[in-house]
This record gives sequence, C-alpha cells and structure tokens, in this order.
Amino acid sequence: MAHAVMRPLTRDDGMQREWTDGSATTEVAEQFIKPNDRLDSFQRLEIYNQQYWWRLLGNFAEDFRGLRAVLGDAQFDTLAVAYLEHCGSTSWTLRNLGSRLERFVRECPELTAPHTSLAIDMVRVEWARTIAFDEAEKPALPPEEIRDIPPQLLRLGLQPYLVLLELRHPVDKLLGKLKRQGEIETASLSNAVSSARPRRRGRLAARPRTKPIYIAVHRQNFAVYYKRLEAEAYRLLYALRTGVSLEHACVVACDGSIDSPELIACKMQSWFAEWMSFRWLTKPARVEPR
Amino acid sequence: MPASRFNAFTDYGIGIGLRIPHYQHILEKKPVVDWFEIISENYMVDAGRPLHVLDQILEQYRVVQHGVSLYFGNADRPNRDHLRKLKRLVKRTGTPWLSDHLCWGSVDGRYTHDLLPMPYTWEAVETTAANIREVRDFLEVPLAVENVSSYAEFHMSEMSEWEFLNEVVERADCGILLDVNNIYVSSKNHGFDPQMYIDAVPADRVAQIHVAGHSKFEKYILDTHDHPVLDPVWELYARAIARVGRTATLLEWDDRIPSFDDVHCEALKASHFLPHEAVAA
Repeated sequence: MAHAVMRPLTRDDGMQREWTDGSATTEVAEQFIKPNDRLDSFQRLEIYNQQYWWRLLGNFAEDFRGLRAVLGDAQFDTLAVAYLEHCGSTSWTLRNLGSRLERFVRECPELTAPHTSLAIDMVRVEWARTIAFDEAEKPALPPEEIRDIPPQLLRLGLQPYLVLLELRHPVDKLLGKLKRQGEIETASLSNAVSSARPRRRGRLAARPRTKPIYIAVHRQNFAVYYKRLEAEAYRLLYALRTGVSLEHACVVACDGSIDSPELIACKMQSWFAEWMSFRWLTKPARVEPR
Repeated sequence: MPASRFNAFTDYGIGIGLRIPHYQHILEKKPVVDWFEIISENYMVDAGRPLHVLDQILEQYRVVQHGVSLYFGNADRPNRDHLRKLKRLVKRTGTPWLSDHLCWGSVDGRYTHDLLPMPYTWEAVETTAANIREVRDFLEVPLAVENVSSYAEFHMSEMSEWEFLNEVVERADCGILLDVNNIYVSSKNHGFDPQMYIDAVPADRVAQIHVAGHSKFEKYILDTHDHPVLDPVWELYARAIARVGRTATLLEWDDRIPSFDDVHCEALKASHFLPHEAVAA
C-alpha cells in the first residue's frame, strides 16, 4: 500500500493506471483493498494517493515559496514531484522535508534550468530560514569568562540557529519583495487535504552579482532575519565555526582584504560588539589550558 | 470516564486545539478555556517561537498533548530518538495523558505523514499493542489511542474496526481517545452502524473524546476538520456521553480556521450533552 500511496499522481491528479510491472493498477488494488457500493478498490486507494501528494506538495510549496516564485508554478511542480519521489520524507516531521533539496538541485540541474544558479541560492536561504526558526539556542557568551584568555588560545562557538551563506544572487532582497507581495500562506493542520496547492503569477528574477554576497540568516526575538555581512566578517565567523582560535580566525578574515590593518581592527571591534548584542557568540567548545 | 487511570484521574471539561491563527488572541485576551490540546510535533523543536508561545500558554492554561506521528501500527518498533524528543516535551507541558492514532504511517524509513488504516488482523493486534506498551513505558504517562477515519478496508481483515480497537487497548492496557466524527466518517465510507461502534467500545477506557467537522463528497466523506460539527456527529457524541459519562472533550478545527470565539463557541455546544454535576446542598 505504501508503494502505491507514494507513486506520483498523473497530470490530472489521479492515480496512475499502470503499475510498475506494466499490469493494471486496478488489479493490484483489488488484491488488498475491498470495494464498496460506491467506490472500487482503485478509487479507494486513490484517495490516499492524492492525500499523500497534496499534503507533501502543499508543505513543500510553503517552505520554498521563494523557489516557486523563481521557477514559476509549472517548473516548480515538476521539481517538487521529482524531489519528493527521489528523496521522500525520512523524518517524522515535515519540517525536514527540504533538508536534501540543495543537493538534489545540484545533482539534477536540468530540473531548474535556466535558473539553476538562482534556484540553488534560493534553496540555501529558504532551508537556512527553517534552521534559524527553531534550531537550538545556546547560552550567550559571558564576556568575563574569556576576558583573560589570549587570542591564540581562545575559541568561540556560534549559535546553532545562525547560518552563514555565500551567495551570487541577492536572494534576501527577492524574499523581501515576495513578502511585500503578500505571498505568505497559512499552513493547514488537517490530516485530510481537500485540494492541491495554490497558484501564483509571475516569476522572481535577479542577475548574478560580480562579487559574492555574504549573509547571516539568524533569529532575533523569535523572528528570522537576513543580515548582510562584509567579506571579512563572513570569513571571520566562518573560521570561528570551524573551531580555530580567534587569532587564526582573524588572520583568515584579513587575508586578501584591501582595508588597512587599522580599519580592519576598528571594524572587528564593532562586529564583535554587534555579534555579542545579537547573542551569536557562545561559549567555546573547549578552551586550551593557559 | 470522567476520571480514570487512563487520563490520570483528571476532570477536564471542554477544550479546543491550540492553533497558530489564535496565538495572538489567546495571549492578549486570555479567554477562559478549560484546556488546550496541542499537536506534539509542532513543539518538538529545540527552541524558537513555537516553544516561546507554548511556555506562555502553559503559564495560564492546562495543556494535553496529541500526536500524529507515533504510528503505533507500524511494523517497526518506535523510534527512540523520536521518543526522547517527545518525552522532553511531556516534561515541559506536564500533560496528564498523551494521545496518538491507531494507524500506521511509515515503512522502511519513508514517512507518508498520513494516518493510514490498518488491516484488522490478530498479528496487527499484537504488534500494535506491543508498540503502545513500549511508548507508554518510555514516556511514563498514560496513553490513549484514537480511532482514525478511513476510506479503505482490507480483504485480509479478520475483525471489525471496533473489535480491533478493543483487542488492542485490552492487550496494551491503555486508554481510548474516542473520535466520534471519525466513527461517523468511517461508518458512511464503509457502511456500518456508528451507534454499534459506540456501544461496543469499553466505556471505562475512554479517556477523551474528539468532535470535528467533515466534508461530504459525491461518493465518500473526508475528515477535513474545516467545518462546524454536523448534527449526526453531535448525536453520536450524545450517545457516547450517555455511555461513558462526563468526559474530557475537544473540538478539532484545523483548516479554514475561523476566529477564536467562533471555534470556542462551537466547542462549547458539547456542554449541552454533558450531564450536569450535582450541586452540593
């Protein structure tokens, strides 16, 4: 039954008439589903087949409304069915439905062509939004605990909900535009889904930038925000997350920078003050003995 | 029953489901509601707004957890990581009892996220009861299993749905969350007498009752939870209350959700069917 339920629907949202081995699906359904006086076995099984796809596609479209706006309804639906058929859900929660989408889009670029580059950026940001929304929050870093530790020994952690991204497209701006267009939809909690997902008009588009765009997707007062970062700030945070010392992270951050050492030092001071105020910095995983 | 070991000897009255569109109203207006039912999975997260809102609700209201992903009828044993997360939430909410569905929903690690009907076989009785016992022992909280609405029946079934339910709860020694709307929906889809179902359920195991609305299609009824409760469902509710007594009752409204007041007003219709408590002289 599970295999039948998870097989993709036809173009007109019905159950496929032909089974995987070429036989009639009707015959397969009759083997285990009883008919009644109104519905035959095929039709009764079809209800579950439709419910499965409408539920998953609805949730998927809600989680990736930016991607849908980039691809348009038809291409998005094709991608969604291919992804869900290939990857399915391996978690008890629908929250994780899109966890493997970035990899899938990279492996199957034909499904998003000619918008693959923008689609990948959008998927990364939209999945980051899921992480930022409800991932764990560790206690913020108490300054007095690290005040006396020299930079070459100090290691800092970052909040699990903080996602650092290097992008080619201004996806944060596109999502802001989408939000202003009133694209936010309310999820249904019902176990039964009575219709397929809603449609939208027009596509979101953006040219790739010549220079990378660095953003942090994070949570503040239980809302998700996108914050642009300078390249050096991104490299610094990224290095800290890998577990290197503060001194090493600063070296990595400054590598290739066109700013003067004095200006970088000044910027770093303000960055750390801001990151502390955002509670991004957490206790170090391990502090080397002095 | 009003108070039993299956609902931790509580005396909860009429509650409604806690839903996102009502968060603001509840937190600002603080309406009088006997209790809220939450969907456990919505709050089995590590942090963020869902838990922040839940904590505020818990400061002022009684909360009971209801789940949609334990899948007692799965062939596989319950997932321990899942149960650990669920137990963390149980400790947070202090839910007096916890419910989930008599169904299956995943196979070989692939989840359908649906409440799929079971073949009513003796083998399934044993497997399902064992899973329920394992979950209850791990969570250390009374469990109630809910009958689901269904749209298909299996050739291999060896008993009726209510016989299957009774066998499972007896072997698992657990409670029942009796969903009278689901009984009505299934009775129309499968052509059985819903009152016979109500009469067959062991009254002393009913820990909670669900009522809800549904949608009628040309050839079947779908359990959509997007309408007020229909009269035939209230009639079944009345019959259930007559059998089991004053029992914690919850209205489910999950789609096309109206205002909080409209939902609460619909839920409070249940009070017309509840026996009035004796007033002390």
